[in-house]
Amino acid sequence: MAGRVITVTSGKGGVGKTTFSANVSAALAELGKKAVAVDTDVGLRNLDIVMGLENRIVYDLVDVVEGRCRLQKAIIRDKRIATLHMLPAAQTRDKTAVTPDAMEKICAELRSQFDFTIIDSPAGIEGGFQNAIAGADEVVIVSTPHVSSIRDADRVIGLLEAAEKQQIYLVINRLQAEMVRRGDMLDIPDILDILAIELLGTIPEDESIVVTSNRGELAALHATSPAGQEYKNIARRLLGEEVPMLPLEEDKGLFKWLARLFKGQ
Amino acid sequence: MGWLDKLMKHLSPESSGQHSKHAAKERLKLALTYDRGGLAQGTIEQLRDEITQVIARHLTIDEDEIDINFDRTSQEDKLIASIPLRMSPRTRTKVGQATAMAGKGPTPPHQD
Repeated sequence: MAGRVITVTSGKGGVGKTTFSANVSAALAELGKKAVAVDTDVGLRNLDIVMGLENRIVYDLVDVVEGRCRLQKAIIRDKRIATLHMLPAAQTRDKTAVTPDAMEKICAELRSQFDFTIIDSPAGIEGGFQNAIAGADEVVIVSTPHVSSIRDADRVIGLLEAAEKQQIYLVINRLQAEMVRRGDMLDIPDILDILAIELLGTIPEDESIVVTSNRGELAALHATSPAGQEYKNIARRLLGEEVPMLPLEEDKGLFKWLARLFKGQ
Repeated sequence: MGWLDKLMKHLSPESSGQHSKHAAKERLKLALTYDRGGLAQGTIEQLRDEITQVIARHLTIDEDEIDINFDRTSQEDKLIASIPLRMSPRTRTKVGQATAMAGKGPTPPHQD
């Protein structure tokens, strides 16, 4: 098997890398692909708790790197979807416990066993980021429509180009249709004009992301979650399907506009 | 604010210029040009001063109206300079006034 290794990164913290990694891995697994989500945020691991797998960790990435266990032993198999897996980061170590060379070797092994290896990168552009991208075939950059996040995304694109990564895609997260409609949030064409990379998807602001992660559930597996649906669409696009981009609910209708006006919003 | 004010505000064409996303886009473009080019802070001010000096040696310019900025699109980065010239407005003299004007002010550049 020659699977794909996709790193999820952003530069800025808190933009939704871990949520994206967890949900897109789950969506790919639900579509029948063998998927593994890998947490490379050594010292600040969170993919486990977002996926609801925090109580099942025995070995971690650093144990594999330092030869205390075989890769197979550290990978946790999800009980909800048989084809979904997770490789946790170590919590009591730091980023220097892993090297880009070690990650390349691990990625090569994962590539031979899984259709998709989704690597959740830490924030920042230092060692942890370098580890996360070392073995990547493709890179997804997650950015919110905020100036700080976009500026960091641009910086990361520059670093990825310097590292000769060819396939770089953008995901715009936490888009608020109402703010875009008012002209108070950068919209998709604005962001694409600035960053000039291929768009993989846009994810709407959605409370169900907080609710599902509170419970250790995955929004992508909930039919009623708008963000969850878009994670599924992104998984299908990664599989080569033509899925139209989520239209912004621009509720421009006169009725809705009048309703807003009289509600005093 | 009453609903009528809101209606007027919504319909007024100039309100679009105040949307914060335009500020976000312009500020980002400038910041990214500095980031990507590794430019030192104050580069644009220094450029403005030096360009002004060079041009002022040859032309009369309105220094307060000079606008020099970076512009960034997905295709290219550009330096855009708008430098208005301060020339004496061209005085066109009507045929009948020509003699009355003679000897008074500067001779108009052309009379046609």
